[in-house]
Amino acid sequence: MQIYLPIAELPVNMFLIFGMGAAVGFLSGLFGVGGGFLLTPLLIFSGISPAVAVASTTAQVVASSFSASLTYWRRKLIDFKLAGVLVVAGIVGSTIGVAIFTLLRRTGQLDLIISICYVTFLGLVGGLMLWESVRSIINTRRGRPAPLRRPGQHGWMHGLPFKMRFKRSKLYVSIIPILAIGVGIGILGSMLGIGGGFILVPALIYILRVPTSIVVGTSLIQMIGTMAVATLLQSGNNHSVDGVLALILMVGGVIGAQFGARLGARVGGEQLRAMLALLVLAVGIRFLVNLVSTPDELFSLATLAGDAR
Amino acid sequence: MNAAFRLALLAGMLVLALRQSSAEQLVVALSTDHVKISSSFTGTGVTVFGAIERDAGTISRGGVYDIVVVVRGPDETLVTRRKERVAGIWLNRAARTFLDMPSFYAVHSSRPLNDIAPAETLTRYQIGFDYLAFRAREGRPEPGDEAFRDAFVRLKREAGLYRDAPYGVTFPGSAVFQTTVDVPANVPVGTYRVSVFLFRDSAMLAANSAAFGIAKTGFEQFTFDLARRNGYFYGLICIALALLTGWLAGVLFRRD
Repeated sequence: MQIYLPIAELPVNMFLIFGMGAAVGFLSGLFGVGGGFLLTPLLIFSGISPAVAVASTTAQVVASSFSASLTYWRRKLIDFKLAGVLVVAGIVGSTIGVAIFTLLRRTGQLDLIISICYVTFLGLVGGLMLWESVRSIINTRRGRPAPLRRPGQHGWMHGLPFKMRFKRSKLYVSIIPILAIGVGIGILGSMLGIGGGFILVPALIYILRVPTSIVVGTSLIQMIGTMAVATLLQSGNNHSVDGVLALILMVGGVIGAQFGARLGARVGGEQLRAMLALLVLAVGIRFLVNLVSTPDELFSLATLAGDAR
Repeated sequence: MNAAFRLALLAGMLVLALRQSSAEQLVVALSTDHVKISSSFTGTGVTVFGAIERDAGTISRGGVYDIVVVVRGPDETLVTRRKERVAGIWLNRAARTFLDMPSFYAVHSSRPLNDIAPAETLTRYQIGFDYLAFRAREGRPEPGDEAFRDAFVRLKREAGLYRDAPYGVTFPGSAVFQTTVDVPANVPVGTYRVSVFLFRDSAMLAANSAAFGIAKTGFEQFTFDLARRNGYFYGLICIALALLTGWLAGVLFRRD
């Protein structure tokens, strides 16, 4: 069934978009990630302009993160103080991100920067995750226990000023790295249309040493806050949030996520992480191929504001 | 529609009006004067009908009539960019900005344009892709401009927004003609100007024009306007929608 998207200004097959939302939702439920990094590329590759794809996925991430966070909230697995600091930093970051986004659109370099960022971050994170999970799978096979990090080993971070106590996470750390992480994720998230969970979660675990039980719920709160502000700014500055597209994606996404989460509970954690790593790498490689292979059409048309024509 | 073109058209009509007493006249009608874009819009067709009226004083001449129908959408200024390979990566480098180009341009004729009229006439009235006036914002012409102009037309044609039909105008009767211009789903909204030209023996005998509008309606119109005029408010609605959807899903699929 074809439905006309009022902001993207083109008709799309509603079931195709719904299917994409559901498929990405399924994967995000399975792996416990937001799925923005899959959804935005899928939309771009299916012909929706990068600007609309990024902005509309931003709104979709708010829905899927909020849906997922309810469970953690009921189980009290959220450090609201830490999330609050992250959200404040994230809002600053997404303001910067949307401003960069607007500027790049005008100069016609948005697609390029989005592609480069995807290649860099997906390649890096996917590679690290794959390496880590393969190593631990091998370790488990050989019967060796996974190497544990010694508690209280904080390194360089311990020396930074402006310390704050986070009771729920049992942390007493400087807020500088927290703010840096929040701002960084905010910029990336709003520019690329991703929640940034696949970067935020490892960052919180490895840099701040947030307990793993609390990290997911807390990062979801950060994503809701940051992405909500990014939606507002994208909509106000670039008028590129397609409400109809976002709604179809949201409904597909939240339904798919339920089934994914059910399957995820039955698959081993290490295997799951290796699969996610391969998926992340595959998307990154797809962007890389696009960047380096000779395009069929060298020319492109766009309005002065940067809308593709 | 740019000023030069409008002037030329006006001048042409004036000349025709002056010698109207002994000339053919064109009557033009459209199948619709309002195309509505609703949620099920997947494109449509606008039929242009017309009749060639000859009064008693018209001198009977040999040769056949030729009709050219030109449909121009609202003007837009577009940047044409060309990718170049830099350090192994393809990125946008050179660009030309073409001012006030028709966002939609269809030219239907009863025969190929070059058989109908000489290039000067086609240029004057901007009939045909090859005779469109390109004004680059960059000012003075530079070598390689040709490639950007060709790419512009090619991309527009691929998008279905520039179209031609060299034998698209048919004559159901000796002095009655019709043609149907396809309007694709990705068409920009605005006022579309339909110009009809009558030729015989390479000379323009008459011209007439009509217009139709393309607009979004109902929900599409409302959403588009809201997003354009009250972006922040629209953004708030989207966030509320997202939170509501997320909450509903969380409640409906609650497992613990």
